[in-house]
Amino acid sequence: MNSWIHPGLVIFLGGFLIPFIPWKRAKQIYFLALPLAGFIIILMTYKGIFGDIPAWPGSLHKWNIPFLQYTLDIGRINKLSILFGFVYVTAAFCMNIYALKVKNDWEHVVAMIYVGSALGAIFSGDLFTLFFSLEIMSWAPFFLLLFRGTKKSRGAAFRYIIWHHVSGLCILTGVLIHLHQTGSIEFTHMPWGWGTKYFGSHLILLGFVINSATTPFHAWLSDTYSEASPSGSVYMTAFTTKTAIFCLITTFSGVPLLMWMGAIQSVFALFLAVLENDGRRLCSYHIISQIGYMVAGIGMGTHMGINGAASHALCHIIYNALLYMGAGCVLVVAGTAKFDRLGGLYKYMPIAFWLYMIGGFSISGFPLFNGFISKAMTIEAAELIQHPVIYLLLEGATVGTFLHTGLKLPWNMWLQGRDEPHPDIKAKLKDSAFNTPKHMLVGMSILAFLCIFLGVYPKILYDMLPYPVEYVPFTVTRVFSITQLFIFSFLGFWLLRKLVKGHPSYVLDTDWPFRVLGEKLMNFCKSSLPAFGDALDQRMMKFSSYVIQKLKSPHIELRMTPLTVGDGVFIILILLSVFLVLNI
Amino acid sequence: MINFRKYPKKLFWRLYYVCLVISLILDFYWLYTHMFHYHFSFQHIPQFFALFGLLGCMLLILIAKGMGFFIVVDEDYYQKRKEESN
Repeated sequence: MNSWIHPGLVIFLGGFLIPFIPWKRAKQIYFLALPLAGFIIILMTYKGIFGDIPAWPGSLHKWNIPFLQYTLDIGRINKLSILFGFVYVTAAFCMNIYALKVKNDWEHVVAMIYVGSALGAIFSGDLFTLFFSLEIMSWAPFFLLLFRGTKKSRGAAFRYIIWHHVSGLCILTGVLIHLHQTGSIEFTHMPWGWGTKYFGSHLILLGFVINSATTPFHAWLSDTYSEASPSGSVYMTAFTTKTAIFCLITTFSGVPLLMWMGAIQSVFALFLAVLENDGRRLCSYHIISQIGYMVAGIGMGTHMGINGAASHALCHIIYNALLYMGAGCVLVVAGTAKFDRLGGLYKYMPIAFWLYMIGGFSISGFPLFNGFISKAMTIEAAELIQHPVIYLLLEGATVGTFLHTGLKLPWNMWLQGRDEPHPDIKAKLKDSAFNTPKHMLVGMSILAFLCIFLGVYPKILYDMLPYPVEYVPFTVTRVFSITQLFIFSFLGFWLLRKLVKGHPSYVLDTDWPFRVLGEKLMNFCKSSLPAFGDALDQRMMKFSSYVIQKLKSPHIELRMTPLTVGDGVFIILILLSVFLVLNI
Repeated sequence: MINFRKYPKKLFWRLYYVCLVISLILDFYWLYTHMFHYHFSFQHIPQFFALFGLLGCMLLILIAKGMGFFIVVDEDYYQKRKEESN
């Protein structure tokens, strides 16, 4: 059987039918069936029904379409794309359950466009298809942000699309330069160096680095993800950055610059997270920090580094969606995710709290949760290449992650040592432990189950990684060191817990110069530029009226003397001789 | 005997202190019996991970608070700027 169907296309095109299904229940079932259909196709592909998948980096090629003098490779299947594909559709299924009660059908359509185009990117085998998929993908979050309908979310949507157009332009220019130099559009490992002949690669890397929210280009993520609707932001956590990680693994593995950028990023984001007052922005900083591990693993370029980056990307999609869902539940139930207004919610939503905590333990890397089996692999990769600074940065980021997502966020949102929330929030709550909508809890439960399942049975994930896994996660050294690290991190948090309390504030990020410069540019366009234009207009009008006046003057004929004509001929002669000399 | 169902916080703290003491003892014991397979020499310092966790966490909070003097602004910082410029 050779007729493969692209799972991304099924979800992408299938999504457009959602608004036209008249029955509510049928619509919901169809919405859940779309990622399931994708899952079945990917499972069939994985089982070799459409042909055997060779060992990494080998690929199976389906759907080759001629385009100009090139061939578009729309269905390139390899071990990495299958792995990402599985997690994308599984996460999409859980996210669809979480978003089941969203009334705007077009939000569902956009979400499916998002998932479909992300699958399009990971199954693309050429740079044109990749660029096309990434471009479609960049529009989906724009609409997810717009659909929230607030003034802030509209601003965030436009900032998002500006960032992603910049990255898209970088990728397109880089691809064209690469094509001009090599004649190839294959989406594969790119040449890397510091000379001008690698300029195309530099631009493509810059595009991927912006898309993956690598420091210093990370600010778009914390700025925009926290402004989408609770369900919209859950979709946004998974696909854009992880697809960029997929691209970086394919094209720039082993670039030392990435190793340093990733390790620094994993810690830098945590400093900003300490100051953060918004639960969802705090989770955004943890996406950035965790991406640091992946980027560092890719930069190391060793088999364990790549395996660590790939497995961490997948585990990250699962636990981070869970974290965002937890914070989103609080936003839905209490109407805010700001720490200074929350606390004392535990009694009213304990199930959401414990499901969130499973995500918190997972992202921190507790043994028996999925973060441990992937994050520890990247840290061990840093140990194996004998790089103490990278190791200390990554291990330090583990401490900070536990501090924030395992301690600060749940403490500030649900607890704060209070049994009751603020009166204005309490007025919105029912006097029971079941304030969280059920469909949200179902979506969270599936992800929480996956967090624990992969944590206790990592073999299922390890068997799918690109390179054979020689790593054993549950050693005395690793389990003991991480446990002791957490026990004492908790002590540090408890001693300084008053310092991490929320206050109404905003944390400036690396996008500050861009936003201020942009603002100045806008002001210039709004006020100074029109004034300059008006002044120029007036001068031109004056000048032209002066010329017209002079031309109408009766004395003008007297001035047309032979000498003036001669001057003109002389100038023409000089010009002609210049043309002759320069041989133009 | 304390009723821990009634006072879960007390149960939590007692369990926490037991874990803390056990981890300190185990670290000395396993380091002495060469159970650990570390890659860097500094990892062999007794109680390295305990110190790293405690100091790392406290330093992270304190340094961030220091950074906060420069980068923490009003909640509606950008909106205010926009209104002022208009």
